[in-house]
Formats: sequence, C-alpha cells, structure tokens
Amino acid sequence: MSAYIAVVIDSFRAAFSSRVLWIAFVAIWILLAALAPIGFRLQYTTDFRSQDFYNGTRLKAMLARGTVDERLAEKPIGRLAASMPDELSRQLRLVGDGDEVRIFLRVFADALNRCLDDESWYSEEAWSDTLQFRELRELDAITGPMDEELKRRRARLRIEAALPGVFETRASRSIRLTYAGIDFPATFAMDKAQFLILVNQYVLPVIIQWLMGFVLVFLGILVTSSMIPEMLQPGSLHLLLSKPISRTMLLLSKFLGGCTFVLLCVTQLVIGLFLIAWLRLDIWNARMLWCIPVSVFLFSVFYSVSTLAGLIWRSSILAIGVTCIFGSLCLVIGVIGGLFDSFVTRPASIRHIALAGDVVIGTTKGGGLVRWDQTNKVWADIFESNPMGADRVIPPVVVRESTVVTARVRGGRFNPFGSGPSDLLVMNAESGWVGEPSMRLPTSTTEIFVAGDQLIALNAAELSATSVQQIFRQVGESFLSEQTIDGESSESDEVDLPLPVDQELGQFDSQPKVGATGWLQKLSNMMGEAAEGFSQILPKNISLTPPRAVYMDSNGDYLIVQSRGRLLRFEKPETGNGVWGKVTERSIEGEAANRCWIAVSGSTMLLAREESPLQMFDVNTLEPLGEIDLPDSLSPVRLIGVSDASREARYFLVTSDGLLRQVASSFDGSDLRISDPTGPREIESVYFDSIRQKVYISHHTDQIDIYDSQQWKMVERLDPSISGWRFVDRYMIGPLRFMTPQTGELGEAIEAIISGKTARTILDGPDAGESVRYELIRPIVSCSAFVFLMLLTSCYYFATRDF
Amino acid sequence: MVNEISSSKDRSSKAATTEVVDVSNLAKRYTGWSILGRRPIDALRGVDLKARGGEVFGLLGPNGAGKTTLIKVLLGVVRPSSGTAKLFGESAGSVQARRRVGYLPESLRIDRHHTARSALAYYGRLSGMSQGDIARRADELLELVGLKGRDRECVARFSKGMYQRLGLAQALLHDPDLLILDEPTDGLDPVGRNEVRKVLETLRDQGKTIFLNSHILQEVEVVCSRVAILAKGKIRGVGTVGELSQRLATNQVTFDLRSDTNLTSPEFLTDLSDSLQIDALNFKCQQSEAGLYRLSADLQNQLHVDQLVDVLRAKRISISQLEKKRPTLEDLFMQLVGEQEGSES
Repeated sequence: MSAYIAVVIDSFRAAFSSRVLWIAFVAIWILLAALAPIGFRLQYTTDFRSQDFYNGTRLKAMLARGTVDERLAEKPIGRLAASMPDELSRQLRLVGDGDEVRIFLRVFADALNRCLDDESWYSEEAWSDTLQFRELRELDAITGPMDEELKRRRARLRIEAALPGVFETRASRSIRLTYAGIDFPATFAMDKAQFLILVNQYVLPVIIQWLMGFVLVFLGILVTSSMIPEMLQPGSLHLLLSKPISRTMLLLSKFLGGCTFVLLCVTQLVIGLFLIAWLRLDIWNARMLWCIPVSVFLFSVFYSVSTLAGLIWRSSILAIGVTCIFGSLCLVIGVIGGLFDSFVTRPASIRHIALAGDVVIGTTKGGGLVRWDQTNKVWADIFESNPMGADRVIPPVVVRESTVVTARVRGGRFNPFGSGPSDLLVMNAESGWVGEPSMRLPTSTTEIFVAGDQLIALNAAELSATSVQQIFRQVGESFLSEQTIDGESSESDEVDLPLPVDQELGQFDSQPKVGATGWLQKLSNMMGEAAEGFSQILPKNISLTPPRAVYMDSNGDYLIVQSRGRLLRFEKPETGNGVWGKVTERSIEGEAANRCWIAVSGSTMLLAREESPLQMFDVNTLEPLGEIDLPDSLSPVRLIGVSDASREARYFLVTSDGLLRQVASSFDGSDLRISDPTGPREIESVYFDSIRQKVYISHHTDQIDIYDSQQWKMVERLDPSISGWRFVDRYMIGPLRFMTPQTGELGEAIEAIISGKTARTILDGPDAGESVRYELIRPIVSCSAFVFLMLLTSCYYFATRDF
Repeated sequence: MVNEISSSKDRSSKAATTEVVDVSNLAKRYTGWSILGRRPIDALRGVDLKARGGEVFGLLGPNGAGKTTLIKVLLGVVRPSSGTAKLFGESAGSVQARRRVGYLPESLRIDRHHTARSALAYYGRLSGMSQGDIARRADELLELVGLKGRDRECVARFSKGMYQRLGLAQALLHDPDLLILDEPTDGLDPVGRNEVRKVLETLRDQGKTIFLNSHILQEVEVVCSRVAILAKGKIRGVGTVGELSQRLATNQVTFDLRSDTNLTSPEFLTDLSDSLQIDALNFKCQQSEAGLYRLSADLQNQLHVDQLVDVLRAKRISISQLEKKRPTLEDLFMQLVGEQEGSES
C-alpha cells in the first residue's frame, strides 16, 4: 500500500510545484484578505427602504387621502401627508383628485426617512387611536432622554402605526455591515438570527459554490488534465509498469493525486472563509468544512472524465476539451431539466385542495384551477395554468356542499393589489364549472374563508366579511335553487345581508360608507378597504401585517390571528354582524418577521413558525400548553388540524423536506409528540375533509393520495394520466437527467450543507412562499455512480491495454 | 567513480545456475488501423531465447525488429499473443517477477518536480522498499553513478547523461536480480558512455544478470557474454560472439606477398589453381605497392592452405603475412539481418 501512498504523495509534490497552484493560492489569499475586514454591528431599524413596503398602492392612497381630505388634517395620516416634500405632496394631490400618478416607492421611502429626523408631524393626541405596538408602547413610556437612534426608531414605529397594512414586519434591530471599521451605507433590516441565516444560507453558499463549483473546478481541470497523458509517456509509463504495483491501483492513486490540487485550494478557501465568518461575523458554522470534501467530490466528477479521455487519447488538450464538452452537456441537460421543471412540471403542481361534493378541486402553482375528472383520470382545467402568467387564484373554498367560491386576481401573482378589481367566482358541476361572477372582492385579497354563513376575505391588512347568501344572490337562480335544496329559505337570507358598518381603518373616524362613489371610493379601493357588500370585522387598531396567519372557525364563531408577534382571538358578535371582539391576546417569543401557520384541533391550537419550535396553545385562552422542536433543519410548510372522534389533538404538518408528519398530544397539551414521516414523499399540500374524515395529500406534482384519517390507511389515489410535455418530461428528460451526473444539484448540496437546511423558501406572491427542497442524496448518488462508472472504465482500459 | 556496491553473492551464484529469462515461441501481434481497415502487425514471430543468471545478455536488432516489444513483454507492459515468457520461472509481468527486475527505459522521463534523491525515494517506494533501505541505497548508488553532490538539485536541470545515470541508479535501487537496460548509453557523449560501460562491467563482475538492448555493437561486443540478434520479430542468432562468428566463418585466407614478378597475371592464378586443383575464380590478387601483392583465396581446409604455402614458396615468392579472416559482430549482424531481409524478399 505504501507504493500507492507514494503515488498520492508524489501528486501533492507535483501540485505544489505547479505555478498555477501558487497563482491560485495567491488569488485565494487576496480574496480572503479582501473579505477579512468585513464586520457588522447591530443598530435599531430606522430608515425605510423600498422593500419594507408591503402594499405601496395602499400607502399612496392613504397619503393622498390625508392630503386632500381636510377632515383628516389633524389625524395621523393628515399630519404625515402634510410633512411630505412639496413635489410628493403635489403628486399625492393629483392622486387624490383621481389622476393616475406613478410614484416610486423609493420616493416614499426618502420622504418618510426625512420624517424620522423631524417629528413635528407627531401629536400624542392624534396618535392615541393608532395601532399600539408593544415596542412603541415601551418607547413611549421612556421619560428620560433618548439617543438619536432610539428616537428615530420610535418615529418609525409611529409612522408604521399611522399607516397600517402598508409595511412588512421588520425586526427591531438591523445589521449594519462595516468594512475595516467603516460603516456600509445601507443596513439589513434583520436581526442577528436572520443575519446568520442570510449569511449561512445565501452568502457563503454562493461564494463557495461559484468559486469552487466553477472557478476551481475549471482551473483544476486545466492543471490536472496533463497528469494522465504525462504518465502515459513511454519513458514514464514503462518504468512505472515495471514496478511491482497494480495498474488499477496506480491509476486510482493518480486519480486521487489529481484531486489534491483542488483539495489544497479548497481547504485554504473554506478554512479562510470559516475563520472570517467566525472571527469577524461571529458565525460559528462548522458545517462549512463539509464543503471541502463535497467540492473535491464535485471536481472528481469532471476529473474522472478527464482521466478517461487522457487515457484514451493521451493528450491533455483533448482531455480538457472532452471535459468541457461533458460539463457543457451537464449544464445544457440541467438547464433543459430546469426549464421543464419551471414551465411544465411545477406549474402543474397542486398547491391547494378543496372538495366540491365528490369533486376534488385544486389550484396549481401556475395560477390555474383544476378539477379531477374521474372518468378520464385527468385534471381538467377550469382556469388554465400559465407558468409565465401573472395571475393569482384565490384558494377556493366550499360553500353549500358542492359549490366552490374562488377568484382570479389579474396580475396579482407578485402584486397583492393586482391590476384591477376581482370578482368572486361561484361554480359547481351544474354550471359546468364555469365561474359565475359574484360580488367584488376587497382589493388585495389573498385568501378567503367560510365561517358559518359568512365568507371572510383576508387582504392587505384586514378581514372583511360578507354573507354567503349575498354571494349566491348575485349569481342568479341556478345557484339559489341549490340552496333551496339544502333546505334554507330564501327569506332567511335577508337577515344575512351585510349591514353597512363603519370602516375601521386605524385613525379614521369618518369613513366612507360602503357603496360610496367617486374619488373617495377609488381611494378606499386602493387602500384595500372593504368592497361593496363586505364589511370589516377587525376592531380598529388591529392590522394584520405580513407575515401573518389566520385560523377561521368553520362555524364562524371565532378566529385566531398571528401578526407582529401577537396571537389574538376574536369572537363573532352576538348580533351576527359588525366588528368581532378581541377576547384574548398573547405575545409570543421569537422573530415576528418569520412565516407562520395556525391550525386548530379540538380545544388546542398549534402555531408553527420558521426557526421556532411548534407551540401548542389552548384555543380559548391562548394559554401555552407545550412546545416541541421540529427535527433538525426542518421548517414548516403546511399545517392542518384534524377534528375527529379521536381523544387527542392531531395535526398534520408538511415540512420542508416534502414529508408529512403527524403532531399529536392530549388536549391538555401533555404528551406533545411528532411522528416519523408518513405517507408519500414530495408533498405539495394537505387538506382535511372533516365530513368524510379523509386527508387529501397532493404529491409528486399532481398526484393525490386520500387517507382515512382515523385508520391512517390510503383509500384511494388520484394518479392522472399524462400527455404532451409532461410525457416528454417524465419519459425523456427525466431518464436523461437520471443518467447525467447532477453536478448542478451537487452545487446546491453545498448550500444545503452550509445552511443546515433541507429547503429554501422562495417568495411566490403575497403571503405565499414556495419551499424548494435541496436535493442532497440524489446528486451525490448520481455523481458517485458516474465517477464509479468512469473509473471502472478507465481502470479496465488501463489494465487490459498494451502500452 | 565506480565503487563496490553491495549485492548478495549467494543470490547471484544461485541465479547463475538457473535461467533468468526464458522466452519460448513468443509472438506478439498488434492490430493497426488504417483507412483500409484493420492491419495486423507481427512484432514478434515465435521468439525463443534464454538468458542465464549472471550473464550479460545483449539484444541486437535493427529498428522495428521487435526488441522493445520483447522487453515490454518481459516487463508485462504488453501481453503476448502466443507463446510464453518467464522471468525467474514466474510469468513475465507478474508482480513476483517484476519485484526482481530493475529497468532503465530508453527515454527516461522523471517528473520535473523531483530531485535525484526524491526520485530515488519515489521509485524505491514503488519497488516496495522501506525508507531506511532507500536512504542507504540512494547514498551508495548516487556515488556509483556520479551524482553525489547534485542529489538535491532539481532534475529539470540535469543533462541527458545525468538523467541516464539517475535512471541507472533507480534501476539498481532495490538490488534487482535482473537488470533490463534499454539503450543505456543512447544520447551520451563518449565520456558518458564510458562511465556507463564501466558501471555495467562492475555489475557484470558482481554477477548481476543484465539484459541489454543496444544499438551500439561495440558496446555489446565488449560487455555482453551472449547476444541475440533479432530481426523482423525473429531471432536470427543466439550465442556468444565467438559462437556466432563460427556460423559466419568464411575460409578466406589473405597472403601478403613480395615478389619481383607480376603476380596479378592470369597465368599465375591459373597455375595456382592447377596446383591446388581449385577453381581459379577463388584466387584474387592485387598489387598494393611495387613488389608487394595481396592474394586472397577461399580455401576449404588447412590442407589447401599448406599446399598453397608450398606452391608459393616453390615459386620463391616471399610470404610477409598470412591471415585467416575472422568476422566482426558488425559483419555478423549485417549478414544475419541481410539474410533475413533476403529471405523476406
């Protein structure tokens, strides 16, 4: 064995004698030296940035109204509007007059940032009715002197309180990067935990992936491609072969030796980055060191091709050429596969499920609405999916047994406001699944709920309710007849008509009534206020700032929301209409800016948040009952509660690894536990049908497994037959990708290793994030198999060939 | 320059009694490719030869004769198409056989990052030697080949001669029982050749078995105890130079004569022919100087030589020199290769 170790050691010596290696070393040292002065410090989040705005249209409308409506002059938005710069005031006035004026978010950000330094707009009296954030209350309670930074923070919170529904929730502390002690101009509005996530999940992986996945691999191939052809030179090879060593082992030793070049470079780079992250950014992430073997492994994939080409043609130029062609082939196949994923497979994946009678309805990622055609075993389009489309489909809800209500928000995929008003669409089998337009939804609606005889719409910051009867009334006889069949008299509908109530929008004490026309109505619509027929149900001073979660009781008796680190329970007024009363509130620890989900089972409520343990509460009192950590590196993706005859609370949680886990406990919260994964893999969504006691799990794009929730046994699978591009993807592109080493995905593995996560979240529309799973096992298996095959071929060739 | 180097006398004496190289009916056919399709090339066509322990065996042949292929087969670099090749009774190319072989390739390449000492350490490890043995042997051999003092120098700065000497040192490093040297003096200047030759003679004197492939006939003639001449993949002759010379023995006798008469006349030659009853065409006479002649004759046996001397003396011709011609290795090589080319044509 020592002979082969000698070959490997000799390769180290050869690598060290390479000028290219020393050039690479110097380049790495320069890079590390350039990165080393980077540091950071924490400061209060003060300045506004464009990306802090959740709904710019609402901001424009609110300030425009504050500008033109003299009644609001002494109200917070009036005072804020008055402190806007002249040019912006002129534009806002034009907006208030009904003109279409485009105002960039950065203009608003600049204007609001000026307000941070001069709080002349503030009046304690005016702000007495605004949202009272906990942090703002604490700052207001400070009586002594405050430093400038804290004052600016307080001013920002006051502005946020005055403009509910406009801003994303941001951490109170921000990271400001420094370079050699000098501050960078911009701050990152995130706390340290988020900063760690950002660095670990995005910054370091990107640096390492690019430097190692491309630069060092290419450089390594350039340097090492000559090793095998040089070994095959007669004066060198014959001498080596005359020694009492195995040809196969000689070749493998040379191969390992060739990997030393990349090993030497990668080791320095990774250890350097690790030390910088540790000593300068206070990030101790030992997982980074795993990048060394993974990067060398990635290089070995390409080097195995170079080795075989070098053996066959005995030319380093040809070896480089063949390796580059191979790399390009991998890239092209990867890109084609990615295109098929983006344009064929993922747009068809089922994101939400609803049951209309026996018909399974689903929304797709491509903005489509589909129903299961049991006869032909296919998903039939109601709204066609369009991967390039900008439309957003509101997840359908079932009303009256077999009728669903949904909406299609034009241009609403990335803009909550959309490109225009959206109507509720009512459809059922009798209507041929053609959506009948009904009431107009409040602008920027992202989700609708059925709450007893009401339909609730969640939009930018509020919840608005209307009566289900009102919805049916607007679509005509065919749907009304169904209700008659359901045994409900049309007379009773009358009492369900929504009553006009005061619009609760923070500080407004004189709101436009529903149905108002003219510029005021237009501004109201822009602000996302309740549309005609809807009435807001949350009390004033309550704004549902994203990220938020809402659980609506199916009977419509209560609802629970989570926003800005608070859990709130509201109950429906006894009159049946009007503003719901807040009965309980509880602050929850953890970063308020993380996404969250709420579900209820029996008398318990489960809160799932990113980067936090699962927390169980009493659904009535919101008293904490217990908490349990998710398995390592997992984040929640979907959560449903199951209400059945079982004697314990049961939840189904889809995690970022695409698997389903059952969370269960007794109703008092004891024995809270999380099960091992169950059901299919690659799960997209999960839905519980309380009537049939079945759990519907969509997985592998558009398959649905139906499980009996009691016995947890699969009772049916909806497995659609595929055709067209899906067919090509499954039977041509898929095998092609399977046969090609997935070097691109191996680069992602570096990201997964450094971040310690199994998936990353990509924001995909308002309140929607797509969890993209990292492929870790598949590329490693694929690349290992490829390297093994290439080395096997090379060894066979070398061992059997006459030289 | 030449120092004593350690070797096992017991092993040498034992090797002398056995056949170190045993090649029997060895054939190697390469497959060449051209536009017209496959084209077989017979590099070796039934080669038989044996080299015994302790002898220096020379392998001679023109370019393309198959010498390198034969060496490659012995080293296991190529596999024979048919026949057998054994080293020390083991199949040629086996690990056991290769363990006892030291090899100096024709165009030695040592990676440029090595020094002489690190190269010896590397090849020593490949030969299965321990670090201690390598260090000890390296000192001895570097002195033997005259590289002491330059052993820490990068080989990239070495001359061709230094390269060859380093190659020789690496071949000797693990004290092999058989040394296969492929053109060890190729590219060396006369001084370098002489130095290498002295090393070979020292090794020969120590009882090493050496299998020497060389183009330089004089070198082979001086160093080798036996030679084989290979041409077109076939052995044309194997044996000592003397044994091979006998195959070429031509019976031609040359007389340097002194006479006042003209010995170049046809009458004189006819007279000699009649006297010895030999065809007159066998006699040729040329005048070198005034009164000095060189007579050459192809005489079958010693009786004819004696009779011719008697006849010349009877004619009162003075014999200043009589020489029976002996063929050189070059004559032998040229004749055997020429025979082969004739038979091929």
